[in-house]
Amino acid sequence: MTDTLVVARKELLDLRRDRFMALLLGFILVATTLSVIVGAAQFRIKLDEYDQYVAALKASGSAVSAAAPQLFPLQLLRGSIEYIELIGGLFAIVVGYGMVAKEKQRATIELLFSRPVRRYSVAGGKVLALAITWLVAVAVVFTVITGVLLIVGRAPLQPVDIGRLLIAAAVAWAYLLLWSSLAMALASSTKHLSTGLIAVLVLWLVVVLIIPQIGDTMDPDNQVPGGLFKSLQVAKPDEHAVLAHFAGYDTVRNGLEVSSVTKHFERLSFAFLGIKDVFNQLPIAAVARQTLAYSLSLVLASAAAVGLALLTTTRKTLLRRNS
Amino acid sequence: MSGFRATLQQEVLSARRERMPQVLLIVFLGMVSVSSLIGWLTHRTVTSVWETTRAAGLTTAPNPFAHAASLSYVKNVVIYVVLIGALLAIVLGVSSTLRSRKSRTTDLVLSRPVDVAVHLGAKLTGMAIWLGAILAVAGALTWVSIALIMRGALSAGDTIRLAAFFGVAWVFLLVFVVVGMLSGIHSRRETSALLLPIVAWSVIVFVLPQLGTAALPVSLLNPVAAVPVEGGAFAGVQQIVGPFALGEQFKTLSGAALGTGSPGSLGLAAFAIVTALAAGLLVLLGTRRDHLRRDLRD
Repeated sequence: MTDTLVVARKELLDLRRDRFMALLLGFILVATTLSVIVGAAQFRIKLDEYDQYVAALKASGSAVSAAAPQLFPLQLLRGSIEYIELIGGLFAIVVGYGMVAKEKQRATIELLFSRPVRRYSVAGGKVLALAITWLVAVAVVFTVITGVLLIVGRAPLQPVDIGRLLIAAAVAWAYLLLWSSLAMALASSTKHLSTGLIAVLVLWLVVVLIIPQIGDTMDPDNQVPGGLFKSLQVAKPDEHAVLAHFAGYDTVRNGLEVSSVTKHFERLSFAFLGIKDVFNQLPIAAVARQTLAYSLSLVLASAAAVGLALLTTTRKTLLRRNS
Repeated sequence: MSGFRATLQQEVLSARRERMPQVLLIVFLGMVSVSSLIGWLTHRTVTSVWETTRAAGLTTAPNPFAHAASLSYVKNVVIYVVLIGALLAIVLGVSSTLRSRKSRTTDLVLSRPVDVAVHLGAKLTGMAIWLGAILAVAGALTWVSIALIMRGALSAGDTIRLAAFFGVAWVFLLVFVVVGMLSGIHSRRETSALLLPIVAWSVIVFVLPQLGTAALPVSLLNPVAAVPVEGGAFAGVQQIVGPFALGEQFKTLSGAALGTGSPGSLGLAAFAIVTALAAGLLVLLGTRRDHLRRDLRD
């Protein structure tokens, strides 16, 4: 077995035994599951209201018909994706930070490097363990929420939906690996562990919460409950024509939003799951074409974070900083 | 100098020196400073959109911001208190008790005839004073930024409203300081001490409101409290979990203080936040002496 695999195996064993890790993953699982249940319950209320409306129409002898609310099962996953986006990112930081912090706190890093390990074996093993951990975690979360969709949501899933779910799971995996690798890199490269934790937590706050929130706030349509254009009774084509006058403002607003990798994760997941109406029921290939820029940026950002973790978690950095 | 005063002064001094709260403090004050600008820019754009729509004959509806409260520019500060302020409060609370445990000063202090409740009360008072000073600075920044935007001083009424809002924010944030202190006292590891209150914050800010209102997590980053869904089991669930969704209760109180309006009962909101603080204080001040000194046995 190579050094890398030995380190990865040890890390996986540690993570499996860590009760705190189990608590974090359990929390994510509960939050994402509850979100699907809430979404399904809300849809059932809409359906009941529709049935009552139709019954009232029939009773009044009206010949007018109304379109029934249509269930697109994957749209019920919106809240779950948002939980992975907000809370999942934070937990990924904790896991990535813990990989280096425990070695520094227990002073096992000196012991580890007293062995003839290759330059990137320790970092490689830790990153591999992170990748496997998030693969298992994402697989469990998506399996459970798919089960909840089928049982509680009574949502019939087509084979293409499974494909969409697998892509969304892969996107979530890349996003979580990004945050874990970044936390690992910062914990390794800073002299004090707390400095690394501060840096990555502030980064999370800014990238995950503040930038998207500013972008959302600056959207004129979000300024009035139910939407500005709906309140002004302006039709969609006219809305686009009006907004064309504010292209500069919207470019700044959108530029702010897309400066956050979290928005790339969100837009990509929402597109593949059909949560955004413009992508709903589009073939996967068409969605992939239209969201290529987001896919590339997420993959590149994750690869860069992994690369940074590999380059910073070395004997030279860790032992020099500790001395 | 009494033990209470010495602990209090030490707490304020340490809070000022801690790096993690300092960074969060800079982010918080930075966002408070620019929030009025963001609010003003958005208001101006919405008004321009309305003017363009009206000029094109597409609407006859009145300008949605025609009667907006003068403090509506700062309504985003509400969400920065819930997001950054609460995290800052948690970090302050955790750092306070964890610092004493790590440096073993708690063991030393409690080897003297010092009452545990007085010791912890002094620490909390120190935090409360520090937090009060931070919010006073945030309030002053907000006042100045609105005055600059409106090119004139705020009226006495608006100044009182702003002060009331930051007063409510102070009480709300104290709840998280107490939660952080409790976590610092009871957690075995530094990471779990910091993370457990953040998990609790996630539950309070995202999970509980979603259960009662079906609002999506990202939409809960809106400064206006979510409206419960009518029908189904939502009303019942909201009655049970709603009072514990302190973030939403704070939004309700803030809406009333700023005059921007937010759904929900003011009485319930005030009761929920004050009760949460009282319950937290009861648990904190009831901490046993041997529990605080347990590190001596480990």
